Amino acid sequence: MHATASRKQQHIGDPLSPQPVLDRARLEAIFNDIQADARYDHELNGCLNCGICTATCPAAQYYDFSPREIVQLLWTENLEGIYDAMQEKIWACAQCYTCAARCPFRNSPGSLIMIMREVAIKHGLQSAKDVLRPFSRVMLKLISTGNQLSPDMITADHFADWGPNISKIDAPLKLLRQAIPMPTLNTMQTAWEVNLKTSIELYTIWEMTGVLKQLEIIDENLFDVITDIMDEKREDYEDWRESQDGNE
Amino acid sequence: MNDIEGTRFTGHGPEWKDAKLSARDARAATAWVEAKVDRAALTGKDRVEDVRDRMRELERDGEIVVHRIRDEHAPVEAKTLYGWTKRIPTAQLWHHKSCGQCGNIPGYPTSLLWLMNQLGTVYLDETDQTSCTAWNYHGSGIGNLESLACVFLRNFHQAYVSARAQGLPDGYYFPLVHCGTSFGNYKEVRAYLLRSAELREKVKKVLAKLGRLVDGKLLIPEEVVHYSEWLHVMRSRIRAIQTIDVGKLRAVIHPACHVYKMVPEDAIYDDEVLDGNRVAVSTGLVQALGAQVIDYSTWYDCCGFGFRHIISEREFTRSFAMDRKVKVAVEEAHADVMIGHDTGCITTLDKNQWIGKAAGKHAEIPIVADCQFAALACGAHPYKIAQLHWHASPVEKLLAQMGIDWQRAKAEFESYLEAVRNGRGEHLYDPRRAITSGPGARKPVMA
Ligand code: SF4
Ligand code: SF4
Repeated sequence: MHATASRKQQHIGDPLSPQPVLDRARLEAIFNDIQADARYDHELNGCLNCGICTATCPAAQYYDFSPREIVQLLWTENLEGIYDAMQEKIWACAQCYTCAARCPFRNSPGSLIMIMREVAIKHGLQSAKDVLRPFSRVMLKLISTGNQLSPDMITADHFADWGPNISKIDAPLKLLRQAIPMPTLNTMQTAWEVNLKTSIELYTIWEMTGVLKQLEIIDENLFDVITDIMDEKREDYEDWRESQDGNE
Repeated sequence: MNDIEGTRFTGHGPEWKDAKLSARDARAATAWVEAKVDRAALTGKDRVEDVRDRMRELERDGEIVVHRIRDEHAPVEAKTLYGWTKRIPTAQLWHHKSCGQCGNIPGYPTSLLWLMNQLGTVYLDETDQTSCTAWNYHGSGIGNLESLACVFLRNFHQAYVSARAQGLPDGYYFPLVHCGTSFGNYKEVRAYLLRSAELREKVKKVLAKLGRLVDGKLLIPEEVVHYSEWLHVMRSRIRAIQTIDVGKLRAVIHPACHVYKMVPEDAIYDDEVLDGNRVAVSTGLVQALGAQVIDYSTWYDCCGFGFRHIISEREFTRSFAMDRKVKVAVEEAHADVMIGHDTGCITTLDKNQWIGKAAGKHAEIPIVADCQFAALACGAHPYKIAQLHWHASPVEKLLAQMGIDWQRAKAEFESYLEAVRNGRGEHLYDPRRAITSGPGARKPVMA
């Protein structure tokens, strides 16, 4: 299947509904972006509508969500249905890839959902912005340091349902971290000590692969905070490099 | 298949026979059989391409450089789902850490390094590495194939050159991936890199800018290796240093989705482990240590982590973890411990037991990683090394069953904290080795 294929539905929307139909150009742009992803043809090879994927899908047990339905929408190029599914359903997936391991067509509904999530972000869907708001701490930590999680993020305030004690031994977090016998782990603000040079290299990756652009679309404030941190750290690194030059 | 009295393997393979169940039990059993997904279910499809063939071609054509597993890495061969050979390096390893393990359950990596110390395995644990970034990607969609590929190639390039800091040649250390999600993600990304010239072209520009090419070419590792695979091929050597008998323990295994459902063709299956019907890692180790591995109907289910769900859909995570895993392990398998091999699973299954109780789901079981279990069985200190105080589940019960006086061990650790406070903490290796370049680096220290 190629981006030029056209089994797209001619009539978008319910002809009996007084609601205005969705802008077809927008729907097409969204679908074309999904189809244009290099992974698309590899992860969608046809669909028997057999439902094996849904039968063992953990998310399908708890949400109004079915990977079979998502694959069918993509396979039949149901543009409005795809747009609809991108509002909420794609965010139900737990990304376990049980579906991919079992599908007789070797489809990967989980991977197709990832493509749809990326496209939802690219098109700035409000639903994506809403859904990702609670995830901003992880993004802030990851993009600014290269670590996705840190000891100081795991507090009883943020994870109240994990119980009042993060550790069963009552001692300050800093001391408990120092008592871990791996020197790289005696940290609080990152899961392990990430070298400043390493974080700076990662910033180049973020910039050159469009990740910062994604972030700007989804959360402008977070983008501002993160780019400020990046600027500061780059300055620190330049200072360090200059100090090295002086030593030579 | 081992026919251990009282275990629930019967009915899972060619040895099936009528169990003459009551109607109620039959219903439970049907659900169980429905959940049965063995090797045949995974290999019943068309045989898939081995991307490593493409890797060899690209290497021959001079397009990429392959970080080879050499004799000095003392590789041990294992078989994957399709019977392909995968070489697992067992020496000179570069630890590619997991942010979830290091941040949440630090006894996971410390147990692994401790085992390596006991076995005399040379390794490097350093600061020049980032997370794989795949947790964030799978949770949020922020990131893309290109960014994931660049992170993969950057980290693995660092593994390749890391020994320079010790005055040793490139390629000396081979990367060992701690996190199951990193493992699955890196393998997926490697396959796309090997298949797509366009992707290679794009990422090459980024890697060139970072100075992370080898002779102007992308560096691809011969294998992407998970620590559980190292444990698997080392299991008889680990057994040889075992000091605690675990024969009475009933253990259930939670195989991690990103370890064997993602890029399933690369997962290790071993004829000696469950007749080669299921992914062999962890189960093989736990059996080698002599514990009873007990089957349970929801073994194939995920843990409920969900990447985004653990942060913002906690009810799903909690319900799934408790109803589909913890309760089944306790009520159906009557297990003493659940053992896993991935970051998110251990966290989810462990931490949700607290709120599970508050939500009226009264089931609890100790949750540990395979390397923590192995380290304990080999005499590691439960708090100093296995760091079990970070676990919310009743790990004390497990320690008691293993004959370990946990109260004494806890008191020892509490007084050890005083030593740490006074700057007399102990480390598994010389801390000077942890920084190989950039700010903080010191003169080369020999391996
Ligand atoms: S990856 Fe998503 S769609 Fe597939 S089985 Fe898991 S939760 Fe369901
Ligand atoms: S398992 Fe595959 S073929 Fe069957 S419904 Fe799901 S995607 Fe379609």
